[in-house]
Formats: sequence, C-alpha cells, structure tokens
Amino acid sequence: MSAFLPILRGIHGVWLREIMRATRDRGQLLGGVSRPLIWLLILGVGLNPYFRGEVFGEVRLVLPYNYLQFLFPAVIVLNIMYTSIQFAVSVIWDREFGFLREVLVSPMPRWAVLLGKVLGGATAATGHGILVLILARFADVTLAPWQVFQAIVYMFMLSFALTCFGVVLAGKVRSFEGFGVFSNTVILPLYFASSSVFPLDPSLTRTQLAVSYPEWLVVLIRSNPITYTVDVLRGILIGFNQFPPYIGLSLVAAGIAIFFLIALRGFGK
Amino acid sequence: MLVNGVSLRYGSQIALEDVSLRIARGSSFALLGPNGAGKTSLMSILATLRTADMGKVLVAGHDVNRAAQKVRRSIGVVFQDSSLDDRLSAEENLDFHGRVHGMPGKARRAAIDRVLDLVELSNWREEPVRIFSGGMKRRLEIARALVHDPEILFLDEPTVGLDAQTRDRIWTYLDGERRRRGLTLLITTHYIEEVDTADCICIIDKGRVIAEGSPAELKHAYGKPYLHVVIASPEVREQLLNAYEGAEVIGNGGVSIPADGEAFIPEFLARFGSRVSEIRFEAPTLEAAFLNLTGRTLRERFDGEREAQRAAGVRAGQR
Repeated sequence: MSAFLPILRGIHGVWLREIMRATRDRGQLLGGVSRPLIWLLILGVGLNPYFRGEVFGEVRLVLPYNYLQFLFPAVIVLNIMYTSIQFAVSVIWDREFGFLREVLVSPMPRWAVLLGKVLGGATAATGHGILVLILARFADVTLAPWQVFQAIVYMFMLSFALTCFGVVLAGKVRSFEGFGVFSNTVILPLYFASSSVFPLDPSLTRTQLAVSYPEWLVVLIRSNPITYTVDVLRGILIGFNQFPPYIGLSLVAAGIAIFFLIALRGFGK
Repeated sequence: MLVNGVSLRYGSQIALEDVSLRIARGSSFALLGPNGAGKTSLMSILATLRTADMGKVLVAGHDVNRAAQKVRRSIGVVFQDSSLDDRLSAEENLDFHGRVHGMPGKARRAAIDRVLDLVELSNWREEPVRIFSGGMKRRLEIARALVHDPEILFLDEPTVGLDAQTRDRIWTYLDGERRRRGLTLLITTHYIEEVDTADCICIIDKGRVIAEGSPAELKHAYGKPYLHVVIASPEVREQLLNAYEGAEVIGNGGVSIPADGEAFIPEFLARFGSRVSEIRFEAPTLEAAFLNLTGRTLRERFDGEREAQRAAGVRAGQR
C-alpha cells in the first residue's frame, strides 16, 4: 500500500495537468462548442424535413424519431472523437518540447504516466461530449437522470478507447503538421462511413438494403466500429438500436485494452 | 556513484567507449568536453533515460538497470533544453513535479516554498512560465529538480546561453545547496572557467575519458606554462627562436616560449635578461589543458541538428 499511494498521487498529478491544459485552451473549447452547434443547427435542422424513411415515394421504414434526434448521439460521438484523437497533439507536444523527459526521470512507472495522461484526455473528451448533451432539449431529446448517467459512463469508456488510439497514432507521427492532416483523414471518414448521419435499417434484407444503398457502402458501414459505438449511445439516449448493443460495448472494451497496450509499448521511446 | 566500462552506440556511431568514473558523495564533479563528446549521452544513462550497451552503472548505490525506480527517487535532473510546461505557472510546474514524485500535499507545499525562495522566484509563482526569460526558466528548472530533495543533482549544461549575472547566481544556489545538504553535483559544461571550483573534473572527448583529476592536478599535468616576451629588437627574435624549441612568434611581434620546470626563468633571465624589454609569465590554465587534450577543432554537428528540430517544433506550436 505504501508503494501504491505515491503512484496514485502521480497519476492524479498527470491527470490534473491535462485537465488544466484542456480548460485553458480556448481554441479547443471553442471547437468543442461550435462543432456540435453547426452539426445540429445547420445539418440537423436543415435535413430534418427530408428524413421520413421514404424510398421511391413509398414509406418503407417507420421511424419513431426525427432526424435531429437521430443525429444527436452521433454528434456526441463526433465531438468525443475529435477531442480524443486531437489529444495525441498533447503527447507529441510533450515529446518534442522535452517535457516527457521530466516525467520519465521521475520514479513513476511508465504505465502510470500513460494512464494518467489518457485519463486526463478521456476526461476532457467526455467533457466535450457533455457539452453536446446539454443541447439535448434543443434536439427534442428528453432524458431521464438514469439515461444521463449511463450515457456519461459509456462516453467516458469510449473517450478512453479513442484517446489511447490517439496516443498510438501520435507514436507514428513525427511532426505537428503531419498530425493535422492525419487526424482529419482518420476522423471524418470513420465518422461518415458509419451509420451516424443516415440510418441503415437492419430489418431490411440484404437485397432490400442493396436497393436503398450501394453494396460497397453497406459493407463499409458494417465493418466500421464507429457504427456500433454510435448505435450503443443511440440506444441509451433515444431508445433506438440497429444492432444488439453488446457488439458496441465489447468493441469499446476491446479498444480500451488493445489500444492501451499498444500505446504503452510505444510510449516513452 | 560508480560507472564502470560503459559503452553506447547509435547505429555504427560510437557515443561512449569504455567510460569508467567514480564520484564521491557530496562532491561536485564536472564533465568537460567539446560538443558531441558524449557528455549528454553519459548523463542520460546515469539518469536512467537510456540503457548502456555494456558496463555497470551504480547511482546512489543502486544499479540503473535493475533498480531504476530507486535511482530515480534519489536524483534530480536539469536538462540541457527546457523541459518546463510553459502553459502552466511556476508553481503548477513545481506542484506537478512533487506529485509525480509521490510527495504528500504538506511536504509538497513546503518544498515548493523553499525552492522558490532559493532561486528568488517567489514573486513569480503565479505567472505562466511562457512569459519567463531564459534565465528565469533555468532557475525554475533547477528549483524543480530540488523539490523532492534528491541526493544527486545532474545538470546538463546548466548555464549555456545565460548572461554572467544569471550564471553567477546559479552557481551560488548550487554551492549553497551542496554545503547545506551535502548534495552531490554532476555538471556537464563546455565553459572552462566554471569548472575551476569543482572538486573533480573529467575531460571526455569522442566518447572516451581522456583525463580526470582535480583542477590543480589537471593544470599541472596537461597545461603548459608559457613565457611571453616583448623584445627590444628584431635580431633578438631570431635568437630566441633558435635558442628554444617550440618558441613561436605571437601577435604583437613578441615571442611565446614554453616555460617548463622551476629553473627555466632564472636561466632565461641569465641568457636574455638584458635583451628583452618585458616578460610575462603565463601560469597553466585549465583552458590550455582542455585544448591541449581535445584539440582545437569545433564539433557543432550535434548542436545543429537539435536546433533544427526545436525550430520546427516552435513553428508548429504557433499555429
């Protein structure tokens, strides 16, 4: 126990630094607020009237929600994705400006340093997700306290997995410039090629789906993990699931374990 | 602290070759060498940031490979270039350091007050490090390395790029700490005048220890005393050059003669005393000893690379 307490203090210290930096970075906060506003107000409100489950003038799916409600959980995930993966910049920053050495000569074990950092990044990302959650009533989503609690726990797990993913990416990138491009080529395709901005109804057969969407898109969406992770949050917030929620949950759990281990292997080298 | 037969290579480049040192507790030890000599590599090994390819290293009685955690608890490190977080305040930087060293709240706050006082930055504790001058950053960094009360302090070129006042203050802090708490200091530098006060100097070049000893010993062993002679007439110059091996003409038209041995000056005066207008005896200096041992060529390669990397980081950081 006596050996464990200093490590906890260290993890807390590393976490605290990430939080201080995240709350002081005006640009990141601004992005965290403006991104969901643009998505919900412009895309969500704008496309809302066109979202009726019609195919060729004939109603095939009856959706129990409108587009704004459908999009809302996806925007939360988008905000979390941006903040988590951008967290890699903090890792690159520490490495390039030498701060990492200060931590590496301290008696803290490396896993604890990484854990503190990732917890900090995940907390910040969850915070950005909560910023979107505050907008719920504007998106016609009514939430019970139990749903809010479940959503926040799930958002934190997702943030943790994605932050670890960001750290893994950071290990592959040698410069800040490179990372800007990299993050956009990772985040946006992952996001769009998931069932986040349009529904993919599982009650349709494969042939029926192929009528609505081209085959390649269906394959892409079905193989994209973000599809399932958005789906879990949608289940929690608006009670609509396209897939069984355990798929998304186990993907997130696997992501936490696998990405953390890969990140640890490359950390501090 | 004991270093025995340490070697390190980067690819085919040999950074350190069979380096052995012994540093006593409470002493101040200076590693002197030109740029790229391997000083920083050796420091990294001692600070457990890098593993040596060969050899055994004990720091504060612990093996750096087998008990790295114990070593890290007993050392403080001041790096060559800043490793502060410049978006946090001075106090937050120190607090972070205390936390990652597992210090409980009360001890941490007391230590922060103490080290801020020591480096005379108490009035700046709330200010973000971003607005600090180079000298203040370095002082804060030294303060930070002392927060957890280490037994040994490593300083990698602690005074590079600082003005004379700041350099002097830094040495005052360090000497004070050494006397008060028996801190062991290991300093790398290429400022020769600064190592004069060290207990022991080790000169390394191209990854090899080429001389070790107290300043006086080194001066005596490797520095040569010279006699500078201002001559009365040009004929005397010829006579001097012929009479003494190694004599050279220097800038003002005078002659510099290696003056070895006690008997040299009386003998010189007896022979030439009436034909010269002025003589000046140059005692052996560390600088002369250093140049004598390492040659005069500058090796800037490593520094150039590091600067380029930093500049790229700064550019990207401004976006």
